[in-house]
Amino acid sequence: MLRFATRRLALALLVALTVSAISFFLLRLSGDIAIALAGEGARDIDIEAIRAQYGLDRPLLFQYGEWLLQVLGGDLGTSLFFRTSVGALVLDKLPVTLILGISSLLFALLISIPLGVLAAIYRNTWIDRLALSIAVVGQALPNFFFALILVMIFSIGLRWLPVSGSGSWQNFVMPTIALGYYVAPAFMRLVRAGMVEVLSADYIRTARAKGLSRRSVIVKHALRNAVVPVVSLSAVQLGYLLGGSVVIETIFALDGLGFLAYESITQKDFPVTQAVVMLLSVFYVLLTFVGDLVNAWLDPRIRVA
Amino acid sequence: MSGGAILDVRHLKVDLATERGTLHAVRDISFSVEPGRTLCIVGESGCGKSMTSLAIMDLLPKSARRTAETLSFRGEDIGSPKVMGRLRGDRIAMIFQEPMTALNPAYTIGDQLCEAYRHHRKASAREAREKAIALLERVGIASAGDRLGQFPHQLSGGLRQRVMIAMALMCGPSLLIADEPTTALDVTIQAQILRLLAELQEELGIALVLITHDLGIVARIADDVAVMYAGQIVEQGKAGDIFGDPHHPYTRGLIDCIPQPGKTRPGERLGTIANTVPSLVGEMRGCAFRDRCPHARPVCAEDVPERRAGDHMWRCVLEALP
Ligand code: SF4
Repeated sequence: MLRFATRRLALALLVALTVSAISFFLLRLSGDIAIALAGEGARDIDIEAIRAQYGLDRPLLFQYGEWLLQVLGGDLGTSLFFRTSVGALVLDKLPVTLILGISSLLFALLISIPLGVLAAIYRNTWIDRLALSIAVVGQALPNFFFALILVMIFSIGLRWLPVSGSGSWQNFVMPTIALGYYVAPAFMRLVRAGMVEVLSADYIRTARAKGLSRRSVIVKHALRNAVVPVVSLSAVQLGYLLGGSVVIETIFALDGLGFLAYESITQKDFPVTQAVVMLLSVFYVLLTFVGDLVNAWLDPRIRVA
Repeated sequence: MSGGAILDVRHLKVDLATERGTLHAVRDISFSVEPGRTLCIVGESGCGKSMTSLAIMDLLPKSARRTAETLSFRGEDIGSPKVMGRLRGDRIAMIFQEPMTALNPAYTIGDQLCEAYRHHRKASAREAREKAIALLERVGIASAGDRLGQFPHQLSGGLRQRVMIAMALMCGPSLLIADEPTTALDVTIQAQILRLLAELQEELGIALVLITHDLGIVARIADDVAVMYAGQIVEQGKAGDIFGDPHHPYTRGLIDCIPQPGKTRPGERLGTIANTVPSLVGEMRGCAFRDRCPHARPVCAEDVPERRAGDHMWRCVLEALP
């Protein structure tokens, strides 16, 4: 188990490093930082000066190495727009995004696991078809569109929930539903497929032959085995949700990392964009790693081997 | 064979809905099992013997439909799902063919052994654990206490089947149904498991229904035998009568296929019955065995009489084998 974990962790770090390099180079290709720094209407000579001052005239690889060393030392740089430390800025916005990511994940699991189980137990009946259509709608609807529908109903129509802001828990309700509903279908399909397979397994027949209650057969013997892939998908999807919060946070003006990323791009605030992209990718990679670990722990064939 | 029967099955039918039409897997069979005796139901694969065991346990697949005039266990109607729900795993237990997949990979042996006992007996964890250790020791598993914490994949096939047997015996059932319990195992292990089953059956006085395709096993363990062919019981009786004086050509053929020590040289092909089992889809008239029967005659295509001599029953136009 320990060897398995260290191998996976090494792999995860390697992936994070690669992502940071790719995003670094892509961002540099997307525009000239020196021009952005110099501001509008700057003369060429000023731009050249800035380029020399910030070391932007040196080879990209060298710049990347320098940046990486800085990051590893805990320094994410300074925001060009806010003129404050990027680290402090990111740390300030992080909780909102984490809350949104975790609550949408929980919301997705809360609707998809029961739906998936029901669909599997009553497969090929109207219950199964209903669950499937809920899933299809969830995946077909772009989440910004679904978010707008929610706003129309709950904010404009019923006046139950605030449209934007991040001051109270009510601000999180619609973003959570919009974001969570979008990933729920993937879970539902996984749970349904897993349950269908597991329910026809020999050990389910054994459990029934033992005279256990229907609940015990389904929840203890079937769901426990069907849910294993859901755990690793949860971790991966949480990474996705953190990244996917860019659109939803922007729509609801929820003041988190996603919103910050959106702002930094429109403001050409490269250090901030770079830091947020890297942070989200590190989350993604680490969460995938956690998913692998939990999976291994849940499956005794991997754990005990 | 009735009176004090522990299990009484009258006119059991199992139909399966398939794409090609209704498959009559079990076509009107009747038998009973007496306390403390071993009934072997023997036949080739697809003859309906496994469906019979699943039908008794009420564990048939969803596509199957079961009808029976009588399905009773000690006088209680186990055709009722409610009654069966109470007895299954407690008074009536079952073990299956595949020890590799019949145990849940996610739980320890101890957990799986104890859960039915705790469920039916409302026993404490400690009580169940002690019972489990005692039974594991009884079925020949060394260091039983340590085994409880292990997962199924850490055990060999033979050990798992011993665990399955112990699991079935946890609540002290009076009827045990074993569906091909040794088929998936190595030959040497097969013999051990079979001996264990026979010992336990005698020691605990349980009634055993053993389903098998292997007449060699039947010869070693059975008190009573039912030979199934194409969803019907074609011959039934005491083991001595079946082996000493078979009346049905199919039974005769099966007996001739048992390898005889000393008579069959290693590598030599065992005798087999030519042709294959007829399709079970749709209605069937006349003797199902007539395509393969060396004594078939035109009259075999018409209704076949059920003949009896004491408690020996066979289904053939012939009164005795020529
Ligand atoms: S009824 Fe005819 S075909 Fe069938 S077993 Fe008897 S002799 Fe053979």
